Amino acid sequence: MVPSANDVGAQGPAEALLYAENVSKRFPGVQALLDIDLTLNRGEVHALVGQNGAGKSTLVKCISGVYPPDGGRITFDGREITTYSPKHAYDLGIAVVHQRPQLLPWLSVTENVMLGQLPARKGLVIDRRKANELTRDLLARLRLEIDPEVPVARLSAPERQQVAIAKALYRQAKLLILDEPTAALDAQRSARLFALIDDLAQQGVGVLYVSHHLEEVFRLADRVTVLRDGRLVATQPTAQLSQDEVVTLMAGHRIAESSLAGSATVAGEAAPALEFCQLETDVLHGVDFVVHQGEVVGVSGLIGAGGHDIARVLFGLDRPTAGRVALNGTTYQPHGPKQAIAQGVFLVPEDPAQDGLVPVLSVAQNVTLVSLKAITRRGVLSLRREREVADRYVGELSIATSSVHTAVRNLSGGNQQKVLLAKSLTSKAAVLVLEEPTQGVDVHAKAEIHRIVRDLASRGKAVMVVSTDIRDLLQFVDRIVALRAGRVVADLPARSTTYAQILDLTVGSVAVPGS
Amino acid sequence: MSTETGAGLAPGAARRPASGRSKNVDVYSLWPIAVMVLIIIATALSSPRFLSVFNFENILSQAAPLGIVTMGQCILLISGGLDLSVGYNIAFSSIITGLLLEHNVPLPVAVLAGIAAATAVGFVNGVLAAQGRAHPFIITLGMSIFLFGLDTQLTGGAPVNNMKGLYTAFGSYLPGGFPFFGLPSVTWPFLIVVLLTYGFLRWAPLGRRAYAIGGNEQAAYLSGIPVKRTKIYLYTLMGALVGITGMVLSGQINEASFNLAQNFELQSIACAVIGGTALFGGRGGAFRSLQGVALWGLVQNSILFIGFSSNYQQMALGVIIIIAVMVTRAQR
Repeated sequence: MVPSANDVGAQGPAEALLYAENVSKRFPGVQALLDIDLTLNRGEVHALVGQNGAGKSTLVKCISGVYPPDGGRITFDGREITTYSPKHAYDLGIAVVHQRPQLLPWLSVTENVMLGQLPARKGLVIDRRKANELTRDLLARLRLEIDPEVPVARLSAPERQQVAIAKALYRQAKLLILDEPTAALDAQRSARLFALIDDLAQQGVGVLYVSHHLEEVFRLADRVTVLRDGRLVATQPTAQLSQDEVVTLMAGHRIAESSLAGSATVAGEAAPALEFCQLETDVLHGVDFVVHQGEVVGVSGLIGAGGHDIARVLFGLDRPTAGRVALNGTTYQPHGPKQAIAQGVFLVPEDPAQDGLVPVLSVAQNVTLVSLKAITRRGVLSLRREREVADRYVGELSIATSSVHTAVRNLSGGNQQKVLLAKSLTSKAAVLVLEEPTQGVDVHAKAEIHRIVRDLASRGKAVMVVSTDIRDLLQFVDRIVALRAGRVVADLPARSTTYAQILDLTVGSVAVPGS
Repeated sequence: MSTETGAGLAPGAARRPASGRSKNVDVYSLWPIAVMVLIIIATALSSPRFLSVFNFENILSQAAPLGIVTMGQCILLISGGLDLSVGYNIAFSSIITGLLLEHNVPLPVAVLAGIAAATAVGFVNGVLAAQGRAHPFIITLGMSIFLFGLDTQLTGGAPVNNMKGLYTAFGSYLPGGFPFFGLPSVTWPFLIVVLLTYGFLRWAPLGRRAYAIGGNEQAAYLSGIPVKRTKIYLYTLMGALVGITGMVLSGQINEASFNLAQNFELQSIACAVIGGTALFGGRGGAFRSLQGVALWGLVQNSILFIGFSSNYQQMALGVIIIIAVMVTRAQR
């Protein structure tokens, strides 16, 4: 039985699973946490929210033993934690499942779940059959359909996350900390994860759920704790709060709902910048749609529905097997990113740290990487020009960095995303393809990215945004192209379209026309 | 606009590590100089002759050939590559030049041929490395073994013992050499290569491409950087530097043979790493690698001065490499 939100709030620290009291942590120059109190009960789903840099991850790291707090104390399961190490926390029953779980890719699911605790015959030879059986049972209990014998490398990202959760539970985790667990999941898979979390809570596991997605928080959590600038702002039952109130608590002031959708005025008369005509690849089947100059088109669908594949074709990373793409009226067939960029198409990839940016290089060096020619004079790079270009875009996109010479890896996720947008601007591309541009960034950065994208469109650029986050798209695009299983199932103006409509189309409760 | 500025600021997150770290980097990156000062003081106290001009020239002429090839290794490491064939490729270039000189080919032609031979080897390394089918470690290791065979085959295992004009140019303290403000003539090519490498890494688009590829090859590719072509250029450049090293080294000792530059591949990697070049790409620089070369040369020299056997040289150098990498790691 799940305790109701009010019961949960009333329980005292003695019975609590986790009781953090006055926890403080200071880094050189920054008070990362100050006097944080947090109570989490058995069977409770407790959400931890706050903007990037609010102190969520520092608090998680204190609880999971990565850093000892400078002040305050943490009691877990009735005993005060005195030794701070990740291993000790794990032994106590505190497990953290990260966005990208750290598993051993070439070992099987069983071996990962039971790592270090595999059953052995006479303590020598691993009893594979028994291990697989135990894992199969565990997975079945969690209602997960994963074959315990396949190597983790063959699993999809959501399946890996499930394996990481199974691993934590195999070790009798009493507290499961989930860090942005849905960042890599589409709606359907997220729903499955939520069901699993509900189940776990019912079995008495405490869940600390760290997320930017307030809908999820309200769907799942009994209580929510809001942090801002390293300080505790509020802990309240979700039943007593609205999403707007939480946003206000996170921001410290009210933000206007962004309503930039459909603000392009030219879409009707403007010339088409990109035309897809019966595009075919392994994944795509007869994709047909148009992106006009000055227009922002959202392309949405479940993971694997084809949005990512369209982007790859546009950047010359995949060849279509049939059909054609036209750029400003002429056939467009790039052989790779270099040609694509030369013809005025730029792709902002999904994962800035992995595919988009060179983390050890500075903001300036990253911004100018696509346009080295523009800052080269007689074969020599002009570092002065480079700084000017970088300064301009840092100002224009309000990238928060102490200087343009700061290494990009020291920037927050939202600011890294903006550096990528700056790159696309220096490339002078007329067509921009953005993949998941607001993934994992806080509400403010999201609003800013929306504004920047609108601004680009108003300067005549054609923008295609590939995203699984439909609600986010609806806030700033002109049209939404819904994809399902590689087919365009709808092409609708964003202003007169609802979230539920698109979700229905992409998830598939509505029949696909012509298939 | 003013209200929006900084709205996306993650409080502290962007600034905290940047300001905290940049100071540390400066302090840490100077450690080879600090160690060198200590060594100089200690050695000078135990042996006053250590501080003589003669000894300084000695260190410089010993370190110069290794220094030239270290600059190339530094560039390759920054780009995420490396070259294990430099030792036998240095020998290869010297053997080509030596054999041509033996057959009375004019000096400039013989020198150009030697450098061209090493450059060609670098080009082949680059073409193979650019395919991405095998790690450069394996490709250049294979090339090294191949060249060892080729070098011994060309010379029949016996050294070429007369480098003629090259010996005149680089042989230590011979009249008729090109002295460099009273310093050994090898200082010339060494200094020029260091300055060119510095400029290359700082101001050349190709140098910037090397940093980008070493820092994140996928991102570099998606930024429209011609990754394969860049790699071929960089390995070819390394080949040219190897050729220059071959000329200098064989000139200094008036001999071209397969074992002219044994262990130069590992020593050059060690020097670059001691100077703070990242073994897996993205970071490093010419002057930092130069510090590594200087420390290397100084340790070799001072240990002999103090009167320990050369075995202690190797022991000390081994310790220094490990400490160097640990210090570089610590600052991340």
